[in-house]
Amino acid sequence: MFLQTINAFFHAEGREIAQVFCTVWSFLAPALGVLILWWCVKPLLRFRREPETWAWLVMPDGQQLPVTHWENIIGRSKGCDIIVNLSTVSRNHAVLTRYDDGSWSLTDIGSRGAVSVNGKQVEVCALRYGDVISLGGVEMVLAPTTAEEVEEQKYYRTKPAAMASPGLTLFLLTLFQLLTALQFWMSSKPEEVVNSVAGVLAVCALSWLLFLILKIMRRSSFEVETLAFFLSTLGLAVIASSDAGSIPKQLVCIAGGIFIYLLLGWSLRDLSRAKRFRYVAAVAGLALLAANLVLGREINGAKNWIAVGSMSFQPSELVKLCFIYVGASTMDRIVTKRNLFSFILYSGAICGCLALMNDFGTALIFFVALVVICLMRGGSFSAVSLLATLAVCAALLLLVIDIPPHVMRRFSTWGHAWDDPLGGGYDQVKAMTCIASGGLFGLGAGNGMFTYYVMAADTDYVFAFVCEEWGLIVGLLPILAIIVLGVFVARSASVGRSSFYTIGACAAVAIMMTQTILNVFGTMDLLPMTGVTFPFLSNGGSSMLSSWGLLAFIKAADTRQDASFAVRTARSEEVEPYE
Amino acid sequence: MSKLARRAWFAYFLAAAMLVGVIVIVVRYAVGAPDWVPFQSDGMILDRSGTVLLDKTDGRSELADSPAVRAAMIHILGDTQGYISPYLLNEYGDEMSGYDRITGTRHADGSYGKMQLTVSAYAQEAAVNAFAGQKGTIGVYNYKTGEILCMVSSPNYDPRNMPDVEADPDTYEGVFVNRFLHSAYAPGSTFKLVTAAAALEEIDGIEDRVFHCEGSAVIGEEVVICNAVHGDIGFNDALCKSCNVAFAQIAQELGAKKLSEYADRFGIAESLSFDGFRTQKGNFDLSGATVFEAAWAGVGQYTDQINPCQYMTFMGAIANGGEAALPYLVESVRFGGEEQYHVERQTGGRILDRQTADELAEMMHYNVVNNYGEWYFSGLYAGAKSGTAERGEGQTPNALLAGFVQSEDYPLAFVVIVEGGGAGSAACTPIIRQVLDACIVAMNS
Repeated sequence: MFLQTINAFFHAEGREIAQVFCTVWSFLAPALGVLILWWCVKPLLRFRREPETWAWLVMPDGQQLPVTHWENIIGRSKGCDIIVNLSTVSRNHAVLTRYDDGSWSLTDIGSRGAVSVNGKQVEVCALRYGDVISLGGVEMVLAPTTAEEVEEQKYYRTKPAAMASPGLTLFLLTLFQLLTALQFWMSSKPEEVVNSVAGVLAVCALSWLLFLILKIMRRSSFEVETLAFFLSTLGLAVIASSDAGSIPKQLVCIAGGIFIYLLLGWSLRDLSRAKRFRYVAAVAGLALLAANLVLGREINGAKNWIAVGSMSFQPSELVKLCFIYVGASTMDRIVTKRNLFSFILYSGAICGCLALMNDFGTALIFFVALVVICLMRGGSFSAVSLLATLAVCAALLLLVIDIPPHVMRRFSTWGHAWDDPLGGGYDQVKAMTCIASGGLFGLGAGNGMFTYYVMAADTDYVFAFVCEEWGLIVGLLPILAIIVLGVFVARSASVGRSSFYTIGACAAVAIMMTQTILNVFGTMDLLPMTGVTFPFLSNGGSSMLSSWGLLAFIKAADTRQDASFAVRTARSEEVEPYE
Repeated sequence: MSKLARRAWFAYFLAAAMLVGVIVIVVRYAVGAPDWVPFQSDGMILDRSGTVLLDKTDGRSELADSPAVRAAMIHILGDTQGYISPYLLNEYGDEMSGYDRITGTRHADGSYGKMQLTVSAYAQEAAVNAFAGQKGTIGVYNYKTGEILCMVSSPNYDPRNMPDVEADPDTYEGVFVNRFLHSAYAPGSTFKLVTAAAALEEIDGIEDRVFHCEGSAVIGEEVVICNAVHGDIGFNDALCKSCNVAFAQIAQELGAKKLSEYADRFGIAESLSFDGFRTQKGNFDLSGATVFEAAWAGVGQYTDQINPCQYMTFMGAIANGGEAALPYLVESVRFGGEEQYHVERQTGGRILDRQTADELAEMMHYNVVNNYGEWYFSGLYAGAKSGTAERGEGQTPNALLAGFVQSEDYPLAFVVIVEGGGAGSAACTPIIRQVLDACIVAMNS
């Protein structure tokens, strides 16, 4: 076959050409990686996030209060979005919600003074511009923004600096993928060359496919997806080196991940649809874990795998997505149903299942997600920290009673890997050894030794794998990419449209960051090894699916015009172009 | 929503934690990366005369030709199955692979590392053959330069044909331990050298004192048993005949404090570190000891322990006028054409007055002449002291011999221990004879 013939040439007569190319590429790859990261990061960290005004509330004295979110709490307390500091108004009085189609509603959230619209007392009521709202006797009128204001806002949201030219980042990524494929073409083992080269090219094709799909949907930003594809490409290169036979499986899972990403994106696009989806997610999450408990089998001490034919599959990865879906909520619900009781009960059921599976790392991830969701849903700090303390105590108690030996071993060597380089510290010592061997530019994809030393080289210790073959610079880029996603979500929160998106994005990014922390710092012996995957990077189908799903939640929090699923292009008849 | 936005700050904290972690990783890399690199790429290890001990170049993976040399080297080079840590190779891994932090271990030109050791394959082979399966250890080093010419721990095995160690726990007891560096032994009478050195410095006219031995003596509330009835005996002969009564009295006279001071000064309970190895500490602890126990410690009993390698440097100091070089194994490491490492020879500092050292050396020579015969030491001017260390009920005691050769060309100090070798020097002298001869041959070539 053509690929193999050329490959054979580079192993024989063309050996020197291959060597020169690989050397040049090893220096070029970090540069290209840094550029890709830089072009994606710039807009994510620099987008304008001054509050946008969606409507005005005209007070009796003629004062105009801006309505700056899609979900606004009106009340007397300082934490409210629209503060009406009059004694008849409750601390949290009502929620004013804007919908995707531009309509509004008002919800009484258990105020003392009641809510009435146009003189009629209401619990929940659709609002039109000009309606007179009365909160505890204080009257105000909802007034629309002017066409100029709308245009101005749109202009700022789409200002050139606010979004990278998606074509440029995709071009850089494609270049990276093509050169990686070329390197495999030259240096792969003859029996693996087809898988490796075709695999990397397929990831490239998937990048373009998703780009085109989003283009058709008139979504113009592609930064978070580019980051995900960059990491997925590196992950595929890792697999090409460690286990080329499983490349097709990984490709299927990337494609599946993209499907989940689009599906979640579609479900999140319309909040009323999303709220219906929650129930499906809740049932699906429990069902997956229940199936896991019944059908699961034990791999490496944890019973969190289900075998389907020759494939094995980790349901707990997908449960993460369900868990976030259940945890996210719109503001009117959060404020009316103040207690988190049902959610905590749900979390308890999930964590109980995980405990039965003996999967310490995943339980930790869910726990972080739980704390973040409770925090975001307005639990007081003391309540959340109490919850955290209780859970930690429970976990410790569980550990003391019945410490799984594989967990115990990891804890006992933590921080002392080098004292026991042939025993408990073996994996970490080998990881650091290989990181050092790679230097800043790596030994070249496919040239590493790490995979021969350590069993979970391409999953739990994937950071060391990338460092050995691609060098420390490229090795750090995925960590920086996850950091950037975290900062992006935190920045977006202040202009978030709906608490549903903000909570979802925060939980999703918290999971990604926690996994990255546990994975990388476990490898470096800064934390005990918990055996969780690095999002997008680690070899593992279930992890890939869930990583893309998490990305959908992050994407949904993007408030830039036309960037995300949630923020639609205004229809052309609504707004004229701004000069 | 504004409250929600404030709480999203947690993501900044997580991001900051990750960033701190990244910085820690980068700093650790910048500081520690060379230490992380073990010997795993191409390279070659040679003995002092150029004999190949390990050859991993051009896809080869060869050890020394001689099975005995391969066996002798396992405790220095480690094994590949992970039973014996390759401390040495780990220590010089970065030099051997021409490592630097920027390019890692990548080398396009096919260069490889070449390590020159101080040991002699010939002497190593002689030592393995001389032990003939007995358990114990031997070390010989040049006390003027520090070069270790021979270091063998027995039992050992040919790594090319690893025996089923677990099936024969008796023969292979502690086979993965380098006894010379990583164990401590009861010193028996060899410890009388410490007491003698202290006496020479602390007690005026000790050389002319006469002790009386009736085969036993009461010290404190207990009885010290001697190996014989020596009658009236001088200091010199007390060491030569290893009279417990005389030395217990000397130790009593010195007192626990002075004895401990000298044991400290000679480094009995300290570790030596070189070439990635760190020796096991010996023990000399008289805190809470009774008068009898302190005296008993002075004859090398009680809880005394010595590390063979450390004690060998003490022998070197006696032979060399009170100050000896510290031992080492790696002379140099080259990578490609470039020298990556060259040993910086160090001395252990002065631990004895020149006069004391010379007097003690002379006493030890007297011992050789009267007890063992100089022909055991290649006919050179030698000094030595033997010891017998009880191991408990029903077990043959360990035999120890520590000493030196004083010669312009062959300044060598040694320690030999044969476990279960029985009383005195009989088990040790044939071994040291063969090994010293081999070392001298190696030094001549």
